[in-house]
Amino acid sequence: MTCHVVPKERAGVVNPIFTCQPAGAQFASIGVKDCIGIVHGGQGCVMFVRLLISQHLKESFEIASSSLHEDGAVFGALNRVEEAVDVLLSRYPHVKVVPIITTCSTEVIGDDVDGVITKLEEGLLAEKFAGREVHLLAMHQPSFVGSMISGYDLAVRDFVKKFAEKGEPSEKITLITGWVNPGDVKELKHLLKEMEIEANVLFEIESFDSPLLPSKDNVNHGNTTVEDLRNTANAKATFVLNRYEGGKAADFLKKKHKVPSVIGPTPIGIRNTDTFLKQLSDVTGKPIPKKLVHERGVALDAIADISHMFLAEKKVAIYGAPDLVIGLAEFCLDLEMRPKLLLLGDDNSKYVEDPRIKALQENVDHEMEIVTNADFWELEDRIKNKGLELDLILGHSKGRFISIDYGIPMVRVGFPTYDRAGLYRYPVVGYNGAAWLAEQMANTLFQDMENKKNKEWVLNVW
Amino acid sequence: MEDLTKDRVEQLLNYIMKKCLWQFNSRAWDRRKQNAGILGQTAQLLCGETPVHETANDKCYWVDAVLLAREYRARFPWINELSHDEIKALIKALHERLDFLTIDGSLNEELTVQHY
Amino acid sequence: MPYHEFEASKCIPERKQHAVIKGPGEDLSHALPKGYLNTIPGSISERGCAYCGAKHVIGTPMKDVIHISHGPVGCTYDTWQTKRYISDNNNFQLKYTFATDVKEKHIVFGAEPLLKKNIHEAFDAFPEIKRMTIYQTCATALIGDDIDAIAQEVMEERPDVDIFVCNSPGFAGPSQSGGHHKINIAWINQKVGTVEPEITSDYVINYVGEYNIQGDQEVMLDFFNRMGIQVLSTFTGNGSYDGLRAMHRAHLNVLECARSAEYICDELRARYGIPRLDIDGFGFEPLSGSLRKIGLFFGIEDRAEAIIAEETAKWKPQLDWYKERLKGKRVCLWPGGSKLWHWAHVIEEEMGLKVVSVYTKFGHQGDMEKGISRCSEGALAIDDPNELEGLEAIEMLKPDVIFTGKRPGEVAKKAGVPYLNAHGYHNGPYKGYEGWVRFARDIYNAIYSPMHQLSNLDISKDEIPTDNGFLTRKMLSDATLPPEVVNDPILKQYDGKLDPIPDLRAKTYPVFPKKEPAPVAAE
Repeated sequence: MTCHVVPKERAGVVNPIFTCQPAGAQFASIGVKDCIGIVHGGQGCVMFVRLLISQHLKESFEIASSSLHEDGAVFGALNRVEEAVDVLLSRYPHVKVVPIITTCSTEVIGDDVDGVITKLEEGLLAEKFAGREVHLLAMHQPSFVGSMISGYDLAVRDFVKKFAEKGEPSEKITLITGWVNPGDVKELKHLLKEMEIEANVLFEIESFDSPLLPSKDNVNHGNTTVEDLRNTANAKATFVLNRYEGGKAADFLKKKHKVPSVIGPTPIGIRNTDTFLKQLSDVTGKPIPKKLVHERGVALDAIADISHMFLAEKKVAIYGAPDLVIGLAEFCLDLEMRPKLLLLGDDNSKYVEDPRIKALQENVDHEMEIVTNADFWELEDRIKNKGLELDLILGHSKGRFISIDYGIPMVRVGFPTYDRAGLYRYPVVGYNGAAWLAEQMANTLFQDMENKKNKEWVLNVW
Repeated sequence: MEDLTKDRVEQLLNYIMKKCLWQFNSRAWDRRKQNAGILGQTAQLLCGETPVHETANDKCYWVDAVLLAREYRARFPWINELSHDEIKALIKALHERLDFLTIDGSLNEELTVQHY
Repeated sequence: MPYHEFEASKCIPERKQHAVIKGPGEDLSHALPKGYLNTIPGSISERGCAYCGAKHVIGTPMKDVIHISHGPVGCTYDTWQTKRYISDNNNFQLKYTFATDVKEKHIVFGAEPLLKKNIHEAFDAFPEIKRMTIYQTCATALIGDDIDAIAQEVMEERPDVDIFVCNSPGFAGPSQSGGHHKINIAWINQKVGTVEPEITSDYVINYVGEYNIQGDQEVMLDFFNRMGIQVLSTFTGNGSYDGLRAMHRAHLNVLECARSAEYICDELRARYGIPRLDIDGFGFEPLSGSLRKIGLFFGIEDRAEAIIAEETAKWKPQLDWYKERLKGKRVCLWPGGSKLWHWAHVIEEEMGLKVVSVYTKFGHQGDMEKGISRCSEGALAIDDPNELEGLEAIEMLKPDVIFTGKRPGEVAKKAGVPYLNAHGYHNGPYKGYEGWVRFARDIYNAIYSPMHQLSNLDISKDEIPTDNGFLTRKMLSDATLPPEVVNDPILKQYDGKLDPIPDLRAKTYPVFPKKEPAPVAAE
């Protein structure tokens, strides 16, 4: 029994699992308060990413474009950046932070975004917006490098790099959540509160599960402030839950500001949450309280009802963001399930060295494949042409037709999950996330048993 | 133009602007052809004549003209009381007004673009 | 002054040329918003790019085709599964999308070998598909890859395949409209005339500018089939690649969305003498007029009249039920390009709604000419609107419902106004007689949603009504209606199925024998 790590052999992509880098930077940017990013490129690079994120969150928010047109593509388009900054600041008086996010087109043209920022700081900001707090920062996000995951990772680093400033040491920790849902942020803050640990959460996107109010308040934004970002240099430690979605920022803080860092594991499942709490406790000296022992017990009680009776030996394929996929695979193994196929959707060469992947390779006792640089065809082709049998798929909405066409039940998890209601509200992290995930998987399997009349009578008594 | 004619032209014009699409081809040369082709045959039809169409395009203008003439007769019964000369004069005035609104007085800057 | 200046846009004075309020006694020669101009950077406009206009709007609805984008993966991912254009081949083009996955090394050394490898891989993976479209993106346009040459090479190596190349990078024009234009012209130049179709009817049309959103094309196809008309091709919803190569053999081009597809009709008229007939498939009266015209053109008006009579008798009482309840409701009609003029007058006349504003994201001045002509006095017309202007307009106009896209719809929701998806529809199709009733039903369901009503209540200070455990839409909509309307025995609510399309696909049609050899269109 072995676990192989293989890269996709084909050159092309049939049905991509990820979109490109600038999307990651855009998702990061909406987590910062009083921040509107300007994406320097064609308008589609913004319009579609806004649509994608708004489909997932069922909310709107603002991201601007420099609206690159033909003339700019030929002669350079820095004038478009200058105009965009001016127009944006003039019309949005509350805006303080403006990341300039490049794309493939403007990186190929070679627009000197860093240079134009200096020019704007010395000219436009000093003159027209004198006295106003405005921060411009360059985010180089060529779409032909990495993926939306690396884009997010780079953007978090760029935000931290821009603002982190050594001051009074603080007891607070910095918690970099990675690309998660509002429900995850809420759950993580709950765990921290129970541990009585103060933390700077990057990014505070809990507010994207926002109300429809009689006051018709229409503004949606994240709540991480410039001050929060500044204080990352003074934190007791940087906790990065998703190695590939915040690791670079932690490395920067460690190197430049000597902030110790704790990288992962992603607190998905009981065991990884235990590890997370232990690490928190080690760094802060705060004990794990009885209340969390109770909460953990509630989750385990719920899971005990389903794991060895229903979930055991179920064959599952998992795709999406690497930390999420690995975390889910680890949890599935604890649930006695068999992750048969993990799909990591970009060509990051670090995955093969990831200790968690190595541990899977050493210890998994069933046939398992991990495909890097994967697309959805890697999954579909195995099902359609190579005899892969699955009981369950875990992943985001873009893979929905594989589930539909091959009759394999699927639990939506990750980003985006636009084809199911309200998933952004529920955590997959922490003890509550573990219980929720296990129950989602069980209920999805139950529904499938009934749809297919496959031992559906088992559930007559349970 | 006397007030009555003016008022009638506006009624006929208003119908075209609200209900039709043929007057809004994208280029000035096409608009001129469309307006002339369709209104010319509309006038013929309203005067009881049988338009001759040699090309498929003429036939297509005729289709829009038939519908327009029918609607005019149904919606503006006064048109049935007019003499043929009066109808021709009225449609001529309508044609001038339509050409003005959609071509000569139009603010659409794309009408003179050389290619489609 | 007819031009309207938004408070939020005072610092970008050129915006003043882009909005007009239709004043009394004013006509198109007095004021017309500017259109199709480069977007103001940083204005947070809603426009997309020329790549998406070519690939996503027009290319991808073609159903029997491998659609490859030559570039980094994002363009492909972002324009995949974000539209509701279905097809009768199990939605192949909706499910499968292809990217060459251009990386940094390809940017440096060129991506042509990568493209070629991709093409072969894709045909190998889907051996039943023999047709392909390739779309250039910003990155591969800038590095200068010769996509046409690669496509030609592959066609020589694999004689059973045919490949279409569309060079429309994202930056090629002010909006997606630039891409519509590029793919129209590329298709007629490269592909029209390369297949000779079998002509099976005396009456042959191309149905152009129709994208089969939730089955619109299939609804219209049903009418054409009932009239014995051969639809040689649909450009492009549910359309087949080879059908579209045979467009030159139609007797008539029936044009629906002139914004995205008038170019190919104009070229077909100029090059092949095929007339262009602009129609409206939305609304009872415009649709009836459209079917009549097509019938008249072919001398089969009686067949059109039979359909009109049957459909009207069946669906008019249901449309009128909604009309009674939608009277005077204020609408912001904020679609992308053509629906502002397809819908503006007819939702007022046939549903009793009041259009207080129209806007177009990527329309040209020609679309504004049509839209402003068709809407009533007092309406605010906006070209290339942006986020703040939209909010300001909502505050100023206080609409009851907004027809727009998904993301702006979320903005409307927070402002307390329900939205209907003008691009993908809520519960379409909206074309055809039944479709039009479905649209009215969706509007009614939005406006009279009891939950929407609850969202306006401030429980901290308003009086909380405690006398009802629930409210129905009808309790809300009928409260102020006269009893004779409420009790009208003829009017009734929509009673169709969730999805009317499967029944259409299963239908058989009468055979109308062909009278004569197909006339060859004038060259």
